[in-house]
Amino acid sequence: MMVYELTELKKVHGSRTVLSIPCLAIEKSRIYALLGPNGAGKTTLLNILGFLDTPTSGTIQYRSRPVAFFEKTLQALRRRVVVVHQHPILFTTSVFKNIEFGLKIRKISPKNRTRIIEEALDLVGMRDFASARAHLLSGGETQRVALARALALSPEVFLCDEPTASVDAENQAIIINLLKQINAEKKISIIFTTHDRTQAASIAHQTLVLDHGNLVRAGYENTFSAVINQDCRGKYVYTLLPNVSLFAGTREARPTGSRIRVFIDPHNIRLCRKGSKKPGKNSLQGKVRQVMSENGYIRVLIDSGIWITAMISPGEYRQHGFLVNDVVQYTIAAEAIHTTTL
Amino acid sequence: MDFLIDSFASALLLVLSLDAEMISIVGVSIRVSISSTLIAGLFGVPLGFIIAFSEWRGKPLVITVLNTLLALPTVVIGLFVYAFISRRGIFGPFDLLYTQAAIVLGQVILIIPVVTAFTIAAISRIDERYRKTAMTLGANRIQTAWVVFREARFGIVAAIVAAFGRVISEVGISMMLGGNIKGFTRTMTTAMALEYDKGSFTLAIALGIVLLGLSFGMNLLFHFFQGRSRI
Repeated sequence: MMVYELTELKKVHGSRTVLSIPCLAIEKSRIYALLGPNGAGKTTLLNILGFLDTPTSGTIQYRSRPVAFFEKTLQALRRRVVVVHQHPILFTTSVFKNIEFGLKIRKISPKNRTRIIEEALDLVGMRDFASARAHLLSGGETQRVALARALALSPEVFLCDEPTASVDAENQAIIINLLKQINAEKKISIIFTTHDRTQAASIAHQTLVLDHGNLVRAGYENTFSAVINQDCRGKYVYTLLPNVSLFAGTREARPTGSRIRVFIDPHNIRLCRKGSKKPGKNSLQGKVRQVMSENGYIRVLIDSGIWITAMISPGEYRQHGFLVNDVVQYTIAAEAIHTTTL
Repeated sequence: MDFLIDSFASALLLVLSLDAEMISIVGVSIRVSISSTLIAGLFGVPLGFIIAFSEWRGKPLVITVLNTLLALPTVVIGLFVYAFISRRGIFGPFDLLYTQAAIVLGQVILIIPVVTAFTIAAISRIDERYRKTAMTLGANRIQTAWVVFREARFGIVAAIVAAFGRVISEVGISMMLGGNIKGFTRTMTTAMALEYDKGSFTLAIALGIVLLGLSFGMNLLFHFFQGRSRI
């Protein structure tokens, strides 16, 4: 079942389109990571999904029902999903009363409120802080109380804006484990934004990448700025660096000199040892800098002037047995290259 | 110089001996000022909250007008209210002139802009995240507004304290609308003006000491609440 289905969704600020999503479906009980650079539209999308902001155009279906953007409807929907912002703010009262706020609004009985608050504080390891003044807590503690305050409401969807961006390593681990735990135990759908691709891959069932308000198909890695050029034979190339170009084909609608963003799907890069195969189109060489296992694939980070990530199967990895500092040849398939105009 | 020192010493004795006349004057002043502050708070705080919390076209203009009214001279208000409550005025039949009610009326007009403008400032200073947090936790408009109001509480109290400080020390309205009637509408400031006219400084200085003490206390309170509002 889908929790959200977005169609032709646009958000425009003045003359600037900050979000443009033709189609997006979010499945129930799954964890989604929303990646993208600053200003990509991640927070705007999160606020729209949290019914705190309305799109300029387009439709949203929540649990297969179209959302009408009227205050009363949105208010009812807000009681089913909850957003935890990047720098959450706690009300200037006790931790207990902060968590109690949403429960009181939902008219939960005082006895049940106390039980739920204690459970929520246990979940984030902050039981001893129940009577503490909320505004005197550290950044990590504030983040955890904000998560407890949201989780106490048992939302259907939990939306977190960079939940680990401003906390130390210890609190990061607590928060990551918490997100996994509530998804596994309570089947709460989670959408969180992050800049950390590795973190996204380690928690999320699916990663979405936003760039300039558009959902892009490739992963967050392998994203480069480039310029469209023509080589001596008149063929179009995307120049990533003066000595790194990708063959783009014989047709290109955009004029030469246009600045574009190039995405290379890491799953569509083939690796082999240097010299073992004749170089073809878009074959480059580089040194292996990192090898790690991730979600059933082997991630290989290669330095070839540009840093490129290839995701290969364990079988393919075993076949070649690359080690760090080995020189490899990699070939980027034509269908792995996606571009958007800057 | 000796004259000043002698007057000051006598005034201090008067204050310490809790002179009956002085206490009566201070009592009138405090009673009138508290009444006008409470009434102005009753109107000014909700007005400031509504202006700050809502978005509409003429809002910047209204805020500019309110800020201009902060500098409204007390004698202008005195004259304006006099025109309405004097025997020939439209509220003449109510016999308000030279009563404590008249002073309260004038002072309310004086400090409503103070309370309103300071409330707007206090609400505007509240982090936008409080509103969004309340909304995402399921609050409706009124509950969200209450959250913002609660967070601005210290700033709003500071606005009321500032307004009290303004009325306790004003003289124009009390003199023009109260008439400085002994034991009835004689406030600390009008009594001081009278004593000065008489060339008798002991009571004037004694009242000055009390007034300064009150103002100091008000300022301490104001800064305390201003400081808390920045948490």
